[in-house]
Amino acid sequence: MGKESKGSGRGNGGGGASNDSNRDAGGHSPDDNDPNSNNRNFQPGAWLEGTGPENDIAICTRVRLARNLQGFPFAPSLDDIESERLYSFITERLAKPGLPAHLSIHDLEPIEELERSMLVERHLISRELASSQRHTGVAVDANESVAIMINEEDHLRIQVFGSGLQPSEVWSRMERLDDQLMQRLPMAWSEEFGFLTSCPTNTGTGLRLSVMLHLPGLVWSEEIDKATNVAQKISLAVRGLYGEGSRALGDFYQVSNQITLGRDESQIQDDVMLAVGRIVQWEREVREALLRGAARVRTLDRVHRALGTLERSQILTSEEALGCLSALRFGIHTQLVDGFSIDAVNQALLLSQPAHLQRYTHQTLLPEERDQRRAQLLRELLGCAP
Amino acid sequence: MQYCTACQKAIATIVVMDLSEGSVTGSQHVCAECAEQLGVTPPKQTKFAPEMLEDLLGGIKTERNDATLTECCPGCGLAPTEFRSKGRLGCPRCYDTFRNELMPLLQRIHESQTHTGRLPSTMAEAPDYAETADLTELRQKLEDAVRGERYEEAAQLRDDLRRAERGEAIDEEPQQ
Repeated sequence: MGKESKGSGRGNGGGGASNDSNRDAGGHSPDDNDPNSNNRNFQPGAWLEGTGPENDIAICTRVRLARNLQGFPFAPSLDDIESERLYSFITERLAKPGLPAHLSIHDLEPIEELERSMLVERHLISRELASSQRHTGVAVDANESVAIMINEEDHLRIQVFGSGLQPSEVWSRMERLDDQLMQRLPMAWSEEFGFLTSCPTNTGTGLRLSVMLHLPGLVWSEEIDKATNVAQKISLAVRGLYGEGSRALGDFYQVSNQITLGRDESQIQDDVMLAVGRIVQWEREVREALLRGAARVRTLDRVHRALGTLERSQILTSEEALGCLSALRFGIHTQLVDGFSIDAVNQALLLSQPAHLQRYTHQTLLPEERDQRRAQLLRELLGCAP
Repeated sequence: MQYCTACQKAIATIVVMDLSEGSVTGSQHVCAECAEQLGVTPPKQTKFAPEMLEDLLGGIKTERNDATLTECCPGCGLAPTEFRSKGRLGCPRCYDTFRNELMPLLQRIHESQTHTGRLPSTMAEAPDYAETADLTELRQKLEDAVRGERYEEAAQLRDDLRRAERGEAIDEEPQQ
Protein backbone atom coordinates (compact mmCIF):
# COMPACT_ATOMS: atom_id res chain seq x y z
CA MET A 1 0.00 0.00 0.00
CA GLY A 2 2.87 2.33 0.70
CA LYS A 3 4.65 4.05 -2.10
CA GLU A 4 8.07 2.68 -2.87
CA SER A 5 11.01 4.86 -2.19
CA LYS A 6 11.40 7.70 -4.63
CA GLY A 7 14.87 8.88 -3.78
CA SER A 8 15.64 11.97 -1.85
CA GLY A 9 12.64 13.90 -3.08
CA ARG A 10 14.73 17.03 -3.31
CA GLY A 11 15.66 18.05 -6.78
CA ASN A 12 17.63 21.12 -5.96
CA GLY A 13 20.64 19.78 -4.19
CA GLY A 14 19.11 19.55 -0.73
CA GLY A 15 20.11 21.76 2.13
CA GLY A 16 17.91 22.47 5.12
CA ALA A 17 15.90 25.62 5.21
CA SER A 18 17.99 27.11 7.97
CA ASN A 19 21.51 26.22 6.83
CA ASP A 20 22.37 29.30 4.91
CA SER A 21 22.70 32.19 7.28
CA ASN A 22 24.23 34.66 4.88
CA ARG A 23 21.16 35.19 2.84
CA ASP A 24 19.92 38.67 2.16
CA ALA A 25 16.32 37.96 3.04
CA GLY A 26 13.91 39.05 0.38
CA GLY A 27 16.55 41.16 -1.27
CA HIS A 28 16.41 39.28 -4.51
CA SER A 29 19.64 40.00 -6.22
CA PRO A 30 19.13 40.04 -9.97
CA ASP A 31 22.13 37.90 -10.77
CA ASP A 32 21.50 34.80 -8.75
CA ASN A 33 20.77 33.10 -12.01
CA ASP A 34 21.56 29.51 -11.33
CA PRO A 35 18.10 28.01 -10.94
CA ASN A 36 19.54 25.05 -9.11
CA SER A 37 21.43 27.13 -6.62
CA ASN A 38 20.54 26.81 -3.00
CA ASN A 39 19.45 30.45 -3.00
CA ARG A 40 17.50 31.29 0.11
CA ASN A 41 14.94 33.17 -1.95
CA PHE A 42 13.76 29.81 -3.14
CA GLN A 43 13.81 28.19 0.28
CA PRO A 44 10.81 28.63 2.55
CA GLY A 45 11.13 31.23 5.33
CA ALA A 46 10.42 30.67 9.01
CA TRP A 47 6.68 30.26 8.46
CA LEU A 48 7.08 27.25 6.17
CA GLU A 49 9.99 25.45 7.82
CA GLY A 50 7.84 22.47 8.73
CA THR A 51 9.19 22.29 12.27
CA GLY A 52 7.79 23.11 15.71
CA PRO A 53 5.01 21.60 17.81
CA GLU A 54 2.06 19.98 15.98
CA ASN A 55 3.73 20.71 12.64
CA ASP A 56 1.75 18.00 10.84
CA ILE A 57 -1.31 20.23 11.21
CA ALA A 58 -0.11 23.65 12.38
CA ILE A 59 2.02 25.25 9.66
CA CYS A 60 2.94 28.41 11.49
CA THR A 61 2.12 30.87 14.23
CA ARG A 62 2.20 34.57 13.46
CA VAL A 63 1.88 37.54 15.79
CA ARG A 64 1.27 40.96 14.32
CA LEU A 65 1.18 44.32 16.10
CA ALA A 66 -0.23 47.51 14.58
CA ARG A 67 1.67 50.59 15.75
CA ASN A 68 1.61 54.26 14.78
CA LEU A 69 3.94 57.13 15.51
CA GLN A 70 3.00 60.27 17.37
CA GLY A 71 3.12 63.46 15.39
CA PHE A 72 2.15 62.02 12.03
CA PRO A 73 -1.30 61.47 10.56
CA PHE A 74 -2.08 57.79 10.02
CA ALA A 75 -0.63 56.35 6.84
CA PRO A 76 -3.71 56.65 4.58
CA SER A 77 -3.91 60.40 5.39
CA LEU A 78 -0.24 61.16 4.74
CA ASP A 79 0.63 63.44 1.87
CA ASP A 80 3.71 62.63 -0.23
CA ILE A 81 6.08 64.79 1.77
CA GLU A 82 4.93 63.49 5.14
CA SER A 83 5.03 59.96 3.79
CA GLU A 84 8.68 60.42 2.75
CA ARG A 85 9.56 61.96 6.09
CA LEU A 86 7.89 59.15 7.99
CA TYR A 87 9.63 56.55 5.86
CA SER A 88 13.09 57.97 6.47
CA PHE A 89 12.41 58.60 10.16
CA ILE A 90 11.34 54.98 10.71
CA THR A 91 14.08 53.41 8.60
CA GLU A 92 16.76 55.51 10.34
CA ARG A 93 15.54 54.40 13.75
CA LEU A 94 15.26 50.78 12.68
CA ALA A 95 18.80 50.82 11.37
CA LYS A 96 20.27 51.78 14.77
CA PRO A 97 21.85 48.78 16.47
CA GLY A 98 20.37 47.08 19.48
CA LEU A 99 17.25 45.40 18.18
CA PRO A 100 16.86 41.71 19.11
CA ALA A 101 17.03 40.78 15.43
CA HIS A 102 19.33 42.18 12.76
CA LEU A 103 17.06 43.62 10.13
CA SER A 104 17.69 44.37 6.47
CA ILE A 105 15.47 47.11 5.19
CA HIS A 106 13.99 46.71 1.73
CA ASP A 107 12.64 49.78 0.03
CA LEU A 108 9.63 48.68 -2.00
CA GLU A 109 9.46 51.78 -4.15
CA PRO A 110 12.18 50.98 -6.67
CA ILE A 111 11.60 47.25 -6.97
CA GLU A 112 9.57 45.49 -9.64
CA GLU A 113 6.10 44.16 -9.17
CA LEU A 114 7.35 40.58 -9.47
CA GLU A 115 9.72 41.09 -6.55
CA ARG A 116 6.92 42.56 -4.49
CA SER A 117 4.71 39.58 -5.32
CA MET A 118 7.47 37.26 -4.13
CA LEU A 119 7.46 39.03 -0.77
CA VAL A 120 3.68 38.56 -0.61
CA GLU A 121 4.03 34.86 -1.44
CA ARG A 122 6.66 34.58 1.30
CA HIS A 123 4.10 36.12 3.71
CA LEU A 124 6.50 38.95 4.53
CA ILE A 125 4.26 41.73 3.26
CA SER A 126 0.54 42.12 2.65
CA ARG A 127 -1.00 42.53 -0.77
CA GLU A 128 -2.09 45.98 0.36
CA LEU A 129 1.51 46.99 1.02
CA ALA A 130 2.65 45.56 -2.31
CA SER A 131 0.17 47.70 -4.22
CA SER A 132 0.38 50.84 -2.08
CA GLN A 133 1.01 54.22 -3.71
CA ARG A 134 2.81 55.46 -0.60
CA HIS A 135 6.55 55.08 0.01
CA THR A 136 6.62 51.67 1.67
CA GLY A 137 9.21 49.21 2.85
CA VAL A 138 9.78 46.11 4.88
CA ALA A 139 12.46 45.25 7.44
CA VAL A 140 13.25 41.53 7.53
CA ASP A 141 15.64 39.44 9.61
CA ALA A 142 17.93 36.78 8.17
CA ASN A 143 15.67 33.77 8.60
CA GLU A 144 12.46 35.65 7.83
CA SER A 145 11.07 35.22 11.32
CA VAL A 146 10.59 38.98 11.70
CA ALA A 147 9.06 41.28 9.09
CA ILE A 148 8.15 44.88 9.86
CA MET A 149 5.98 46.51 7.22
CA ILE A 150 6.49 50.26 6.98
CA ASN A 151 3.69 52.60 5.92
CA GLU A 152 1.00 50.00 5.56
CA GLU A 153 -2.47 50.90 6.87
CA ASP A 154 -0.62 51.64 10.10
CA HIS A 155 2.85 53.18 10.19
CA LEU A 156 4.23 49.90 11.44
CA ARG A 157 2.89 46.40 11.13
CA ILE A 158 5.31 44.31 13.15
CA GLN A 159 5.19 40.59 12.45
CA VAL A 160 6.95 37.69 14.14
CA PHE A 161 6.67 34.17 12.75
CA GLY A 162 7.37 30.75 14.17
CA SER A 163 7.02 27.37 12.56
CA GLY A 164 4.37 25.05 14.00
CA LEU A 165 2.16 25.89 16.95
CA GLN A 166 4.13 27.99 19.43
CA PRO A 167 2.15 31.08 20.42
CA SER A 168 3.95 31.74 23.73
CA GLU A 169 7.40 31.54 22.19
CA VAL A 170 6.42 33.77 19.27
CA TRP A 171 4.69 36.24 21.58
CA SER A 172 7.70 36.56 23.89
CA ARG A 173 9.94 37.26 20.90
CA MET A 174 7.44 39.89 19.81
CA GLU A 175 7.29 41.44 23.28
CA ARG A 176 11.05 41.93 23.33
CA LEU A 177 11.03 43.42 19.85
CA ASP A 178 8.11 45.71 20.65
CA ASP A 179 9.87 46.94 23.83
CA GLN A 180 12.94 47.81 21.81
CA LEU A 181 10.92 49.52 19.11
CA MET A 182 9.01 51.59 21.65
CA GLN A 183 12.27 52.89 23.03
CA ARG A 184 13.36 54.23 19.69
CA LEU A 185 10.05 55.26 18.15
CA PRO A 186 7.42 57.45 19.87
CA MET A 187 4.27 55.35 19.52
CA ALA A 188 0.76 56.80 19.62
CA TRP A 189 -1.27 55.47 22.53
CA SER A 190 -3.66 56.46 25.28
CA GLU A 191 -4.52 54.96 28.67
CA GLU A 192 -8.11 54.58 27.59
CA PHE A 193 -7.78 53.16 24.09
CA GLY A 194 -4.35 51.55 24.21
CA PHE A 195 -2.44 51.71 20.94
CA LEU A 196 -4.13 54.03 18.48
CA THR A 197 -4.61 52.58 15.02
CA SER A 198 -5.94 53.81 11.73
CA CYS A 199 -8.85 51.39 11.75
CA PRO A 200 -10.86 50.97 14.97
CA THR A 201 -10.85 47.20 14.41
CA ASN A 202 -7.21 47.14 15.59
CA THR A 203 -7.41 49.65 18.44
CA GLY A 204 -6.15 48.55 21.86
CA THR A 205 -3.52 45.86 21.76
CA GLY A 206 -3.12 46.19 17.98
CA LEU A 207 -2.49 42.46 18.22
CA ARG A 208 -3.45 39.79 15.77
CA LEU A 209 -2.43 36.26 16.60
CA SER A 210 -2.98 33.87 13.76
CA VAL A 211 -2.27 30.21 13.33
CA MET A 212 -2.16 28.63 9.91
CA LEU A 213 -3.59 25.15 9.87
CA HIS A 214 -3.52 22.44 7.25
CA LEU A 215 -6.90 20.72 7.47
CA PRO A 216 -7.34 18.24 4.61
CA GLY A 217 -9.00 15.70 6.93
CA LEU A 218 -11.76 18.10 7.90
CA VAL A 219 -12.23 19.20 4.30
CA TRP A 220 -12.38 15.65 2.94
CA SER A 221 -14.80 14.47 5.60
CA GLU A 222 -16.89 17.61 5.07
CA GLU A 223 -16.62 18.67 8.66
CA ILE A 224 -14.70 21.84 7.92
CA ASP A 225 -17.68 24.19 8.22
CA LYS A 226 -18.54 22.81 11.64
CA ALA A 227 -14.93 23.16 12.69
CA THR A 228 -14.57 26.76 11.52
CA ASN A 229 -17.85 27.57 13.31
CA VAL A 230 -16.13 26.68 16.57
CA ALA A 231 -13.74 29.53 15.95
CA GLN A 232 -16.30 31.97 14.61
CA LYS A 233 -18.55 31.44 17.63
CA ILE A 234 -15.91 32.94 19.89
CA SER A 235 -15.36 35.92 17.57
CA LEU A 236 -12.34 34.53 15.77
CA ALA A 237 -11.82 34.93 12.04
CA VAL A 238 -11.11 32.02 9.70
CA ARG A 239 -9.38 33.00 6.48
CA GLY A 240 -7.54 31.44 3.59
CA LEU A 241 -3.85 31.09 2.78
CA TYR A 242 -3.19 34.76 2.10
CA GLY A 243 -5.34 36.31 4.82
CA GLU A 244 -8.21 38.68 4.40
CA GLY A 245 -10.44 37.90 1.43
CA SER A 246 -8.40 34.94 0.23
CA ARG A 247 -9.73 31.45 -0.33
CA ALA A 248 -8.71 28.35 1.53
CA LEU A 249 -6.47 27.00 -1.23
CA GLY A 250 -4.79 23.69 -0.57
CA ASP A 251 -6.88 23.15 2.59
CA PHE A 252 -4.91 25.84 4.43
CA TYR A 253 -6.82 27.96 6.93
CA GLN A 254 -5.76 30.82 9.18
CA VAL A 255 -7.49 31.22 12.53
CA SER A 256 -7.01 34.59 14.22
CA ASN A 257 -8.52 36.91 16.81
CA GLN A 258 -10.62 39.87 15.77
CA ILE A 259 -11.11 41.52 19.15
CA THR A 260 -8.20 43.77 20.10
CA LEU A 261 -9.81 46.05 22.69
CA GLY A 262 -10.83 45.03 26.20
CA ARG A 263 -8.92 41.74 26.14
CA ASP A 264 -5.25 41.68 27.01
CA GLU A 265 -2.53 39.83 25.13
CA SER A 266 -2.72 36.65 27.16
CA GLN A 267 -6.52 36.51 26.98
CA ILE A 268 -6.30 36.88 23.21
CA GLN A 269 -3.80 34.05 23.14
CA ASP A 270 -6.14 31.90 25.25
CA ASP A 271 -9.07 32.65 22.92
CA VAL A 272 -7.17 31.66 19.80
CA MET A 273 -5.62 28.59 21.41
CA LEU A 274 -9.00 27.41 22.67
CA ALA A 275 -10.31 27.18 19.12
CA VAL A 276 -7.05 26.07 17.53
CA GLY A 277 -6.58 23.30 20.12
CA ARG A 278 -10.07 22.02 19.44
CA ILE A 279 -9.67 22.15 15.66
CA VAL A 280 -6.27 20.40 15.74
CA GLN A 281 -7.71 17.62 17.88
CA TRP A 282 -10.71 17.33 15.56
CA GLU A 283 -8.43 17.12 12.51
CA ARG A 284 -6.53 14.26 14.20
CA GLU A 285 -9.75 12.42 14.92
CA VAL A 286 -11.04 12.67 11.36
CA ARG A 287 -7.61 11.70 9.98
CA GLU A 288 -7.79 8.51 12.03
CA ALA A 289 -11.33 7.87 10.78
CA LEU A 290 -10.19 8.41 7.18
CA LEU A 291 -7.58 5.69 7.61
CA ARG A 292 -9.96 3.09 9.06
CA GLY A 293 -12.29 0.56 7.47
CA ALA A 294 -13.99 1.35 4.18
CA ALA A 295 -12.82 4.96 4.29
CA ARG A 296 -9.19 3.91 4.00
CA VAL A 297 -9.29 2.87 0.35
CA ARG A 298 -11.05 6.08 -0.64
CA THR A 299 -8.43 8.10 1.18
CA LEU A 300 -5.61 6.12 -0.43
CA ASP A 301 -7.23 6.62 -3.82
CA ARG A 302 -7.43 10.34 -3.25
CA VAL A 303 -3.80 10.66 -2.18
CA HIS A 304 -2.49 8.54 -5.04
CA ARG A 305 -4.59 10.35 -7.63
CA ALA A 306 -3.02 13.58 -6.44
CA LEU A 307 0.41 12.00 -6.62
CA GLY A 308 -0.34 10.68 -10.10
CA THR A 309 -1.24 14.19 -11.19
CA LEU A 310 1.97 15.60 -9.75
CA GLU A 311 4.02 12.87 -11.42
CA ARG A 312 2.35 12.82 -14.82
CA SER A 313 0.47 15.98 -15.63
CA GLN A 314 1.86 18.42 -18.17
CA ILE A 315 -0.29 21.39 -17.26
CA LEU A 316 -0.94 22.39 -13.65
CA THR A 317 -2.70 25.52 -12.41
CA SER A 318 -1.52 26.88 -9.07
CA GLU A 319 -4.85 25.96 -7.54
CA GLU A 320 -4.65 22.34 -8.71
CA ALA A 321 -1.01 22.16 -7.65
CA LEU A 322 -1.88 23.35 -4.15
CA GLY A 323 -4.68 20.78 -3.94
CA CYS A 324 -2.37 17.94 -5.00
CA LEU A 325 0.45 19.06 -2.72
CA SER A 326 -2.03 19.25 0.14
CA ALA A 327 -3.05 15.62 -0.50
CA LEU A 328 0.60 14.57 -0.73
CA ARG A 329 1.42 16.37 2.52
CA PHE A 330 -1.48 14.53 4.16
CA GLY A 331 -0.25 11.23 2.66
CA ILE A 332 3.25 11.73 4.05
CA HIS A 333 2.08 12.63 7.56
CA THR A 334 -0.34 9.70 7.69
CA GLN A 335 2.32 7.30 6.29
CA LEU A 336 0.19 6.48 3.26
CA VAL A 337 3.11 7.35 1.01
CA ASP A 338 6.81 7.41 1.69
CA GLY A 339 9.88 8.51 -0.18
CA PHE A 340 8.88 12.16 -0.18
CA SER A 341 10.10 14.69 2.32
CA ILE A 342 7.96 17.37 3.88
CA ASP A 343 10.75 19.84 3.06
CA ALA A 344 10.34 19.08 -0.65
CA VAL A 345 6.57 19.50 -0.42
CA ASN A 346 6.94 22.80 1.43
CA GLN A 347 9.39 24.09 -1.14
CA ALA A 348 7.07 22.96 -3.91
CA LEU A 349 4.21 24.82 -2.24
CA LEU A 350 6.28 27.98 -2.31
CA LEU A 351 7.82 27.67 -5.76
CA SER A 352 4.56 26.81 -7.48
CA GLN A 353 3.23 30.28 -6.62
CA PRO A 354 3.20 32.51 -9.73
CA ALA A 355 5.90 35.03 -8.76
CA HIS A 356 8.31 32.44 -7.35
CA LEU A 357 7.78 30.24 -10.39
CA GLN A 358 8.68 33.06 -12.76
CA ARG A 359 11.60 34.24 -10.67
CA TYR A 360 12.91 30.71 -10.35
CA THR A 361 12.72 30.04 -14.06
CA HIS A 362 13.96 33.55 -14.96
CA GLN A 363 11.10 34.03 -17.35
CA THR A 364 8.05 36.20 -17.53
CA LEU A 365 5.46 33.65 -18.41
CA LEU A 366 1.90 33.81 -19.69
CA PRO A 367 -0.55 31.89 -17.48
CA GLU A 368 -0.66 28.94 -19.91
CA GLU A 369 3.14 28.74 -20.06
CA ARG A 370 3.28 29.09 -16.31
CA ASP A 371 1.04 26.05 -15.88
CA GLN A 372 3.32 23.96 -18.11
CA ARG A 373 6.41 25.19 -16.34
CA ARG A 374 4.83 24.52 -12.97
CA ALA A 375 4.04 20.90 -13.87
CA GLN A 376 7.66 20.42 -14.95
CA LEU A 377 9.11 22.14 -11.89
CA LEU A 378 7.03 20.11 -9.45
CA ARG A 379 8.21 16.88 -11.07
CA GLU A 380 11.78 18.06 -10.63
CA LEU A 381 11.31 19.15 -7.03
CA LEU A 382 9.59 15.94 -6.02
CA GLY A 383 12.18 13.83 -7.79
CA CYS A 384 9.73 12.34 -10.32
CA ALA A 385 10.70 11.19 -13.80
CA PRO A 386 10.84 14.13 -16.24
CA MET B 1 -5.72 81.04 -14.44
CA GLN B 2 -9.34 81.54 -13.44
CA TYR B 3 -11.43 84.62 -12.64
CA CYS B 4 -13.31 84.93 -9.37
CA THR B 5 -16.80 83.44 -9.70
CA ALA B 6 -18.21 86.01 -7.24
CA CYS B 7 -16.97 89.35 -8.65
CA GLN B 8 -15.93 88.07 -12.10
CA LYS B 9 -13.12 90.65 -12.07
CA ALA B 10 -10.14 89.57 -10.04
CA ILE B 11 -8.01 86.46 -10.49
CA ALA B 12 -9.24 83.64 -8.26
CA THR B 13 -6.62 82.60 -5.73
CA ILE B 14 -8.77 80.53 -3.38
CA VAL B 15 -10.83 77.42 -4.05
CA VAL B 16 -13.81 76.78 -1.79
CA MET B 17 -14.85 73.16 -1.89
CA ASP B 18 -18.11 71.65 -0.72
CA LEU B 19 -17.61 68.33 0.95
CA SER B 20 -20.31 65.77 1.35
CA GLU B 21 -19.90 62.12 2.37
CA GLY B 22 -16.18 62.51 2.14
CA SER B 23 -16.11 63.59 -1.50
CA VAL B 24 -16.01 66.94 -3.20
CA THR B 25 -19.47 67.83 -4.48
CA GLY B 26 -18.72 71.30 -5.80
CA SER B 27 -16.11 73.99 -5.88
CA GLN B 28 -15.92 77.71 -6.30
CA HIS B 29 -12.92 79.78 -7.31
CA VAL B 30 -12.83 83.16 -5.62
CA CYS B 31 -10.43 86.04 -5.23
CA ALA B 32 -8.94 86.95 -1.88
CA GLU B 33 -11.26 89.91 -1.40
CA CYS B 34 -14.46 88.00 -2.09
CA ALA B 35 -13.21 85.15 0.07
CA GLU B 36 -12.89 87.60 2.92
CA GLN B 37 -16.40 88.97 2.32
CA LEU B 38 -17.80 85.45 2.17
CA GLY B 39 -16.16 84.73 5.51
CA VAL B 40 -13.92 82.02 4.10
CA THR B 41 -10.74 83.71 5.24
CA PRO B 42 -10.21 86.04 8.20
CA PRO B 43 -10.18 89.79 7.45
CA LYS B 44 -6.99 90.90 5.80
CA GLN B 45 -4.41 92.89 7.67
CA THR B 46 -1.69 94.84 6.03
CA LYS B 47 1.11 92.72 7.39
CA PHE B 48 -0.70 89.45 6.81
CA ALA B 49 -1.39 88.32 3.26
CA PRO B 50 -3.57 85.26 2.49
CA GLU B 51 -0.52 83.56 1.08
CA MET B 52 1.04 83.75 4.52
CA LEU B 53 -1.96 82.09 6.02
CA GLU B 54 -1.79 79.36 3.45
CA ASP B 55 1.89 79.01 4.12
CA LEU B 56 1.31 78.75 7.84
CA LEU B 57 -1.25 76.02 7.51
CA GLY B 58 0.57 74.13 4.83
CA GLY B 59 -2.05 75.04 2.26
CA ILE B 60 -4.70 72.71 3.53
CA LYS B 61 -7.02 74.52 5.84
CA THR B 62 -7.92 77.61 3.81
CA GLU B 63 -9.87 75.48 1.40
CA ARG B 64 -12.57 74.79 3.93
CA ASN B 65 -15.09 77.18 5.34
CA ASP B 66 -15.40 77.86 9.06
CA ALA B 67 -18.46 75.69 9.57
CA THR B 68 -16.66 72.59 8.31
CA LEU B 69 -13.46 73.53 10.09
CA THR B 70 -14.94 73.34 13.57
CA GLU B 71 -16.20 69.82 12.98
CA CYS B 72 -13.08 68.49 11.29
CA CYS B 73 -10.30 66.93 13.30
CA PRO B 74 -7.84 69.68 14.26
CA GLY B 75 -5.00 67.19 14.05
CA CYS B 76 -5.43 66.06 10.46
CA GLY B 77 -8.47 67.83 9.02
CA LEU B 78 -10.52 64.65 8.65
CA ALA B 79 -14.19 65.55 8.09
CA PRO B 80 -16.90 63.77 10.09
CA THR B 81 -18.54 62.65 6.85
CA GLU B 82 -15.32 61.03 5.76
CA PHE B 83 -14.90 59.27 9.07
CA ARG B 84 -18.47 58.00 8.83
CA SER B 85 -18.17 56.77 5.26
CA LYS B 86 -14.76 55.08 5.59
CA GLY B 87 -14.75 54.10 9.25
CA ARG B 88 -11.06 55.03 9.43
CA LEU B 89 -9.41 57.58 11.67
CA GLY B 90 -6.98 60.12 10.27
CA CYS B 91 -4.58 60.63 13.18
CA PRO B 92 -4.25 59.90 16.90
CA ARG B 93 -6.17 63.08 17.73
CA CYS B 94 -9.22 61.77 15.84
CA TYR B 95 -9.84 59.50 18.81
CA ASP B 96 -10.79 62.64 20.77
CA THR B 97 -12.44 64.50 17.93
CA PHE B 98 -14.78 61.69 16.96
CA ARG B 99 -15.07 60.19 20.42
CA ASN B 100 -18.87 60.31 20.52
CA GLU B 101 -19.21 58.38 17.31
CA LEU B 102 -16.28 56.12 18.01
CA MET B 103 -17.49 54.73 21.34
CA PRO B 104 -20.56 52.84 19.99
CA LEU B 105 -18.45 51.67 17.04
CA LEU B 106 -15.79 50.20 19.36
CA GLN B 107 -18.52 48.58 21.43
CA ARG B 108 -19.94 46.92 18.32
CA ILE B 109 -16.57 45.70 17.06
CA HIS B 110 -14.92 44.65 20.31
CA GLU B 111 -17.76 44.47 22.82
CA SER B 112 -15.64 46.83 24.86
CA GLN B 113 -14.60 50.48 24.94
CA THR B 114 -11.53 50.36 27.16
CA HIS B 115 -8.08 48.95 26.69
CA THR B 116 -6.63 46.30 28.95
CA GLY B 117 -3.16 45.02 28.26
CA ARG B 118 0.25 46.29 27.41
CA LEU B 119 1.08 49.98 27.46
CA PRO B 120 4.45 51.49 26.62
CA SER B 121 5.77 52.06 30.14
CA THR B 122 9.33 51.69 28.90
CA MET B 123 8.77 54.26 26.20
CA ALA B 124 7.92 57.06 28.62
CA GLU B 125 11.27 56.63 30.36
CA ALA B 126 13.25 56.53 27.16
CA PRO B 127 15.30 59.69 26.62
CA ASP B 128 14.05 60.05 23.05
CA TYR B 129 10.48 60.08 24.06
CA ALA B 130 10.79 62.75 26.76
CA GLU B 131 11.79 65.33 24.19
CA THR B 132 9.37 64.27 21.55
CA ALA B 133 7.13 67.14 20.60
CA ASP B 134 3.55 66.25 20.01
CA LEU B 135 3.18 67.59 16.50
CA THR B 136 -0.56 67.25 16.57
CA GLU B 137 -0.70 69.54 19.58
CA LEU B 138 1.61 72.03 17.90
CA ARG B 139 -0.56 72.02 14.80
CA GLN B 140 -3.61 72.70 16.96
CA LYS B 141 -1.86 75.59 18.75
CA LEU B 142 -0.76 77.01 15.44
CA GLU B 143 -4.24 76.85 14.08
CA ASP B 144 -5.69 78.47 17.21
CA ALA B 145 -3.12 81.25 16.97
CA VAL B 146 -3.98 81.91 13.33
CA ARG B 147 -7.67 81.93 14.00
CA GLY B 148 -7.12 84.23 16.96
CA GLU B 149 -4.99 86.38 14.65
CA ARG B 150 -2.00 86.14 17.00
CA TYR B 151 0.38 86.12 14.10
CA GLU B 152 3.66 86.55 15.95
CA GLU B 153 2.85 83.57 18.10
CA ALA B 154 1.76 81.69 14.99
CA ALA B 155 5.06 82.39 13.27
CA GLN B 156 6.95 81.08 16.28
CA LEU B 157 4.76 77.98 16.40
CA ARG B 158 5.25 77.42 12.70
CA ASP B 159 9.01 77.42 13.20
CA ASP B 160 8.68 75.03 16.14
CA LEU B 161 6.50 72.76 14.07
CA ARG B 162 8.91 72.74 11.15
CA ARG B 163 11.78 71.90 13.48
CA ALA B 164 9.78 69.18 15.16
CA GLU B 165 8.75 67.76 11.81
CA ARG B 166 12.36 67.56 10.74
CA GLY B 167 12.87 65.40 13.81
CA GLU B 168 15.10 67.94 15.53
CA ALA B 169 12.95 68.17 18.63
CA ILE B 170 13.12 64.42 18.90
CA ASP B 171 16.89 64.44 18.88
CA GLU B 172 18.71 65.92 21.82
CA GLU B 173 19.35 69.46 20.66
CA PRO B 174 17.64 71.56 18.03
CA GLN B 175 20.36 72.16 15.48
CA GLN B 176 20.71 75.36 13.62
